[in-house]
Amino acid sequence: MAAGDPLLMIGSRARSPRAFAIFFIALSLLILLTATNCVREVDITLEQRSHQLAGDLMCPVCDGQTLDGSNAQIAVDMRLKVRELLDSGNTNAEVKDYFVARYGEEILAAPESSGFNLLAYIVPVVIVFGGIGIALITIKNMRKSAAQVNYSGTQTVSSPNEPADLSDYLAKVDRDLGIYIQPASSESYDVSSSQSDKENS
Amino acid sequence: MADLGVMALLLGLALSIYAAVGAIVGEKTAMAELVVSARRALYMTTLAAAVASGALINAFVQNDFSIKYVVDHSNTFMDRAFVWVAFYAGNEGSLLYILLALALISAISIWFAPKRLARSMPWTIAILAIIQLFYFGVLSFVASPFELLDTIPLEGRGINPLLTHPGMFSHPPLLMGGLIGITIPFAFVSGALIAGNYGDDWIDVARVSAIITWGVLGTGMLLGAWWAYTILGWGGYWAWDPIENVALMPWLVLTAFVHSIMVQKRRGMFRMWNVALLNIAFVLAQLGMFINRGGPVVSVHSFAASSLGVIFLSFMLASLLFAFALFLWRMPQLKSDRAMESFMSREASFLINNFLFLAVMGVTLWGVLYPLFSDLARDISVSVSAPYFDRTNGPVLLGIVVMMGIGPLLPWRKTSARSMKQWFMWPTLVGLLTIIVLVALGVQRPIAIFAFGVVAFVAASISEEWWRGTTARHRSGDNWVMAWWRLVNGNRPRHGGYIVHISILMLALGIIGTNFYQQRTDGALALGESIILDNYRIEYVDEGESIRDDRIAKWAEMSVYEINPDDYSQEIAFAATQGSSGFTLKDSRLRENDNLIDQIEPWHGFYPDFNMASVRSGIRSTIVEDLYVIPRDFLADGRVSIAVSINPLAWWLWVSGPFFIIGTMVALWPQHAVERRPVRKRKLDDPEGEN
Repeated sequence: MAAGDPLLMIGSRARSPRAFAIFFIALSLLILLTATNCVREVDITLEQRSHQLAGDLMCPVCDGQTLDGSNAQIAVDMRLKVRELLDSGNTNAEVKDYFVARYGEEILAAPESSGFNLLAYIVPVVIVFGGIGIALITIKNMRKSAAQVNYSGTQTVSSPNEPADLSDYLAKVDRDLGIYIQPASSESYDVSSSQSDKENS
Repeated sequence: MADLGVMALLLGLALSIYAAVGAIVGEKTAMAELVVSARRALYMTTLAAAVASGALINAFVQNDFSIKYVVDHSNTFMDRAFVWVAFYAGNEGSLLYILLALALISAISIWFAPKRLARSMPWTIAILAIIQLFYFGVLSFVASPFELLDTIPLEGRGINPLLTHPGMFSHPPLLMGGLIGITIPFAFVSGALIAGNYGDDWIDVARVSAIITWGVLGTGMLLGAWWAYTILGWGGYWAWDPIENVALMPWLVLTAFVHSIMVQKRRGMFRMWNVALLNIAFVLAQLGMFINRGGPVVSVHSFAASSLGVIFLSFMLASLLFAFALFLWRMPQLKSDRAMESFMSREASFLINNFLFLAVMGVTLWGVLYPLFSDLARDISVSVSAPYFDRTNGPVLLGIVVMMGIGPLLPWRKTSARSMKQWFMWPTLVGLLTIIVLVALGVQRPIAIFAFGVVAFVAASISEEWWRGTTARHRSGDNWVMAWWRLVNGNRPRHGGYIVHISILMLALGIIGTNFYQQRTDGALALGESIILDNYRIEYVDEGESIRDDRIAKWAEMSVYEINPDDYSQEIAFAATQGSSGFTLKDSRLRENDNLIDQIEPWHGFYPDFNMASVRSGIRSTIVEDLYVIPRDFLADGRVSIAVSINPLAWWLWVSGPFFIIGTMVALWPQHAVERRPVRKRKLDDPEGEN
């Protein structure tokens, strides 16, 4: 995980905020992908495994409860069955298949990610990445329209652009926040960027 | 009493019709008096709803068993304090409660509405009146709580045993109040749009009412989680149940709104977006009402199930249509004043945060609807429960926490690499260090370790801001506490937000701990036997029983010992060969290092009339972990069957509540001090005073 840390980007190799942004997005995608694939693990005692499996199976007679959460007699029996199947060496998948064969797909607390049920998992991915994509495109378009807005002058309905000189006020804000930025001492940063640093309030 | 209630409801119905018609006609014909009269009529509906509620509560107090609702939800030996709970324990009563809450907050919000909204007030009044009209109508004609029985029974059925818990005095009212509360910002914004009031006049009203609603809904959900954890014996606090999800979805959208409304307030951007968010939240709240009242999904919360599904579905579709049409009609007028300048700006990070919240909402909605979809598309039933949502929403929620550390550190407009380095260095280091330390300590589960690193990153970013601001003020003479206090007071929306963020971090700690590191075992103990899990030994010391008319309660007195697992190495090794982490011990003699640390009393009540059990878990809670004992059953042979778990960091889930409430209140507290923004300067260039 450490290799994907934003800090590495801020060091000497940092070129621009945009590089950081792209890097950050790539990083989050990577995390999302890894996280999706190992929420539950199997390298634990049989007992913990049977509890987790009980959480993956629904109680057939209770509304919306898993075996794990139910005190109904059938849930007790089914939990014992889960444990028995695990004791005799079955894998998690085999245990689930055992119950699906008897109770139908409905017994699984989450649909299997195969066949038609792949839809259940593809749609969320589309929603999440589609959402982030729309957000990024919106930001990009809003940036593009910046120039047009300024020239056409019609889009700014109720308020004018930023007031011309806020430097006194901003300096005060900086003092309050304890930010002491040396005024453009380094050549590598242009004035406008350090100006906007100061507006950090 | 019943007659009084029925009449009050009919009167309310007439008043709300008058208010709706009066407001619209008065506005169209420019008859100011008519609008004033409509406004007063809307105040009077509150009285009508209050009288009807009073009549129902009085019927409970008097044990008036001629009323069906009273028979169904109370009896003579019910604890009198639960009359208030019985009031909203079923479908009809909870509708009346919702109406009362709506009428009350409508009146309050209209009373306090700022003068400059005068032009759009008739429309706001009309919208509120129409929504009240819907509830008055349903209560008068379809689901009357005052329905009478032909033969009066001597005894009522009693209150649902699951509801007899202190949490029930606040959880359902807050949740229902929060859901209906979304109506207020929606009505104000829609009113402004219809009236053609496109400016930002509605921002403050919408923001304040949305934050209150959001806080109430959030608190209600937390209390519900607490209730589930302590009483239901589900062993959990959040099951991603459809009814939980339909409350979560509008809350998520409101969360997006309370963030992005700040962008409109400060930068004049995202107008269209904010209106859309409120519309979505309102429609989702109606979806919640629909699913609650006989929606087509299976849920553990079937307290208010009824046959009103079609009515509420129609109302939801109507509100969807209205919101959508209004939005499309007025969309061209809702342009932003300014353009986005950079990806690395606070406005951009707010937009990404908004889309992430909407993504969680969308995924949750998909999960709720997928079983229906599967049924319709291929006639095969499937279940979509916690494991699905953990897998799909878990990563996105983690992404939101990451954004929580990044967004607030970015300045408005744009930022530079230099500023990034300055602000992110320290939090990133802290996050990394946390990960390294946890790995070095041999902690397992990479995802959880990463999540802890993220939590540390965000905590460090908040501390950093507070540290810088506080030290600056400290240098100018304040003592540390005053310096921090002034910092918070200087910009309450921002720092209240940080306090809420801290509460979310606590919640995250609890969620990570309980989801990734929970240990469990089951067992059946006879008196004198113990069960051992990790470094706890729980001995079944004594049993208790009490039989009342409505229930048979049994409880187990148990002593909790902290043990040194070395003393039990033989047994532990044997249990391990059986694949167990916990085991039962017949011999109750103490060993060398056994140390009595607590007494717990898991309680199990059976209610024959309802054929329903209600349990109270025995919990020993510490800041590090909870030892949690669910009494599953008292067996015929005298043993008690229990499920024992160690829930790491669960304590933090409940501590987050007060912080959430305090943070929300700080953010809401009216700002008298000069705000930390160029208000005065800007006003010189901005004659309209809008910015």
